[in-house]
Amino acid sequence: MAVNAETLDLARLQFALTAATHFLFVALTLGLVTLVACVQTRATFTRDPVHERMTRFWGQLYVINYAVGIVTGLVMELQLGLVWGGLGHFAGNVFGASLAMETLTAFFVESTFLGLWIFGWGRLNRWAHLAVIWVVTLTSYVSAYWIMVSNGFLQHPAGATVVDGVLRLTDATAVLTNPGAVLAFGHILSGALVTAGVVMAGVSAYHLRARTTEQELFRKSLRVGVATALPALLVTVALGGAQFGVLSDAQPMKLAVFGGDAGEIARLQAEAAARYGQGDYVPSQVWGQAGYVMIACWAALALVTVVSVVRMRSRDRVRHSRLWHALLTAAIPLPFVAMIAGWVWRESGRQPWVVYGLLSTRDALSDLSPAALRASLAVFATLFAVLATVNYWLLARYARRGPGATALGSPETPCVPLPAATF
Amino acid sequence: MENLAVALLAFFAVGYFVLGGADIGTGMIMPFLGRDEHERRLVVAAVAPFFLGNEVWLVATIGILAGAFPVLEGTLLHALFPGFLALVAAWVVRDMGLWLRGRVDTRPWRALWDTAIVSGSWGLALSWGLILTAVLTGHAATGPASASGTAFTTETASVTDTAFTIGPASAAHAAFTTGPVAGTHAAFTTGPVAGTDVAFAIGPVAVLGMLAVVALFAAHGFAFAALRLSGTLRARARRLSGTAREGLPAALTAAAMAALCLGAGARLAPGRAVADPATLAFLVPPLLAVTPLLLAAQAWVWWLFRHRVTRPAYL
Repeated sequence: MAVNAETLDLARLQFALTAATHFLFVALTLGLVTLVACVQTRATFTRDPVHERMTRFWGQLYVINYAVGIVTGLVMELQLGLVWGGLGHFAGNVFGASLAMETLTAFFVESTFLGLWIFGWGRLNRWAHLAVIWVVTLTSYVSAYWIMVSNGFLQHPAGATVVDGVLRLTDATAVLTNPGAVLAFGHILSGALVTAGVVMAGVSAYHLRARTTEQELFRKSLRVGVATALPALLVTVALGGAQFGVLSDAQPMKLAVFGGDAGEIARLQAEAAARYGQGDYVPSQVWGQAGYVMIACWAALALVTVVSVVRMRSRDRVRHSRLWHALLTAAIPLPFVAMIAGWVWRESGRQPWVVYGLLSTRDALSDLSPAALRASLAVFATLFAVLATVNYWLLARYARRGPGATALGSPETPCVPLPAATF
Repeated sequence: MENLAVALLAFFAVGYFVLGGADIGTGMIMPFLGRDEHERRLVVAAVAPFFLGNEVWLVATIGILAGAFPVLEGTLLHALFPGFLALVAAWVVRDMGLWLRGRVDTRPWRALWDTAIVSGSWGLALSWGLILTAVLTGHAATGPASASGTAFTTETASVTDTAFTIGPASAAHAAFTTGPVAGTHAAFTTGPVAGTDVAFAIGPVAVLGMLAVVALFAAHGFAFAALRLSGTLRARARRLSGTAREGLPAALTAAAMAALCLGAGARLAPGRAVADPATLAFLVPPLLAVTPLLLAAQAWVWWLFRHRVTRPAYL
């Protein structure tokens, strides 16, 4: 199948935009839901009004954020079938199966229970309501696991063999325990906790610095945020480092490009050309360096967090150290930049393959015209730009306004009697 | 195992059209049901606790398609690219309307996102109209389309009955064969080359079919809203059926939704395009095992919010 180069670029751009927008929002979702569940647990056990308001305030930000994650996820799921038909055709037996497991064993429950949590506030018994948020939390982890199994398989296709030009599942355990999936899952989960911790600490610092009301609530929230971010940063770097070992076996080219090792790149290119036929097997050397951005963000966050832990020992400083508050608030974008940079590095580094060593990105593309893709790219790029802008604006607005403006979980509007129906 | 996979697919697809169809239909008729801000907020409250749990039935359906029928999924989505593109765009617009309408308390803001809910709901119904009509009427157009040389055939003649074209044959640029016989040798012939021409040509049959589907969504919305709302709004929702009983119209529209979905599904013959046996053995048992739990979760939602809406909800 002759693939138009423009179509390929448009399709990749569209998928990258979708996945990046999705990832920006789900990274916070995954971490924040954990913190909300922990705070709600405390609130449920102690009936402490501060923790109850904390649950509602952070829960509100979580719900605003979740909405974008869900709609971009829908677009991504359909895009795989719409634009990357060759992937389903070649790898559907494995890749499609893990996506199917994600939708039924995780997302279905997560979404249903999120509806229960949001609308069941005040209707459900408070222990049942607490159980519901934990189900949402755990199923969001399961969801992330299955997504990483799918992605890990593309990075390192273990547990399947090619028969008659199509992949067949041979070893389900190898698919489920693929180091390319499991390590990355832990890395992303801890990265999500870093993101949520830094957002929580940064927003709280804003309120402490601005001396808004609810100082007690934000002092406690700042502590939760920092206390989450520090250990999560350590886990992130440990699991990130562990992935280098996997890469040196599975994707040496990604490492060579990352290290800028021209000799090694040339050797691997020659080796790949001999094995797979003529072609360019060197991924983008610009995007391949995105890992350094991620590492730099990590270092900056580690510094901010360690300083914070030291300062946090004094309750007085937590409230009054204005320079530190400004620093924490300024750090909010860092985990997002790190997440996106890490993702760009991981995904761009496996090019030109979509299923590493087995299916090229070019061959995975459906037979679509540039015009069709331009139309779909225009539609989704516009939608996502509006979505991301509106939702970040809303998140900032709700974060700034503080718990007083939270509608989530507030007692329902009193019943306005309606005129009786006349028939 | 293959039959179980087909049954799962049918179950979740029917679930989506019956449940998700209800909130789409209600969104379509929101301007009729809710005449001022307070009333519109009540209409939203009628679907608010359910729409998240309703749309996941479609996500699950696509998941099962991708997992157990990967070639069918790719072929179907690709063949009906404009229809699915419109569907997803409308879905995003509708959901954003629902999520965002209550976030800022000003009149223009609510007007904007209420428009998004209504136009998104209509967009969803129209897209389903396009897609379902194309699937259901495709068979009739197969012959002429082949004659015009745009149809692609696979190695076996028997699969040609799953080929369908979009729109009337004269304008058919897109005839597709949905791949493999007995799930073995997948022929990924996503024809014709000029993808721009994969267009939904408008003919009388296509237009009528589409309108019928759109009308069914709206009727289902009326029936559902009559069960959920109270007072004046309930009276407005009952105006379509005119009967004192509200369960019967809802049962009828739900049955029609299910029949429409099953009819379209039968035309796609998913049983011919199942994934490899090893994949089904990996996939189908866990899916069957979790299905009762999913149903229990859904039942809990429907039970908790079973009472008629008398006050606004969170959105």
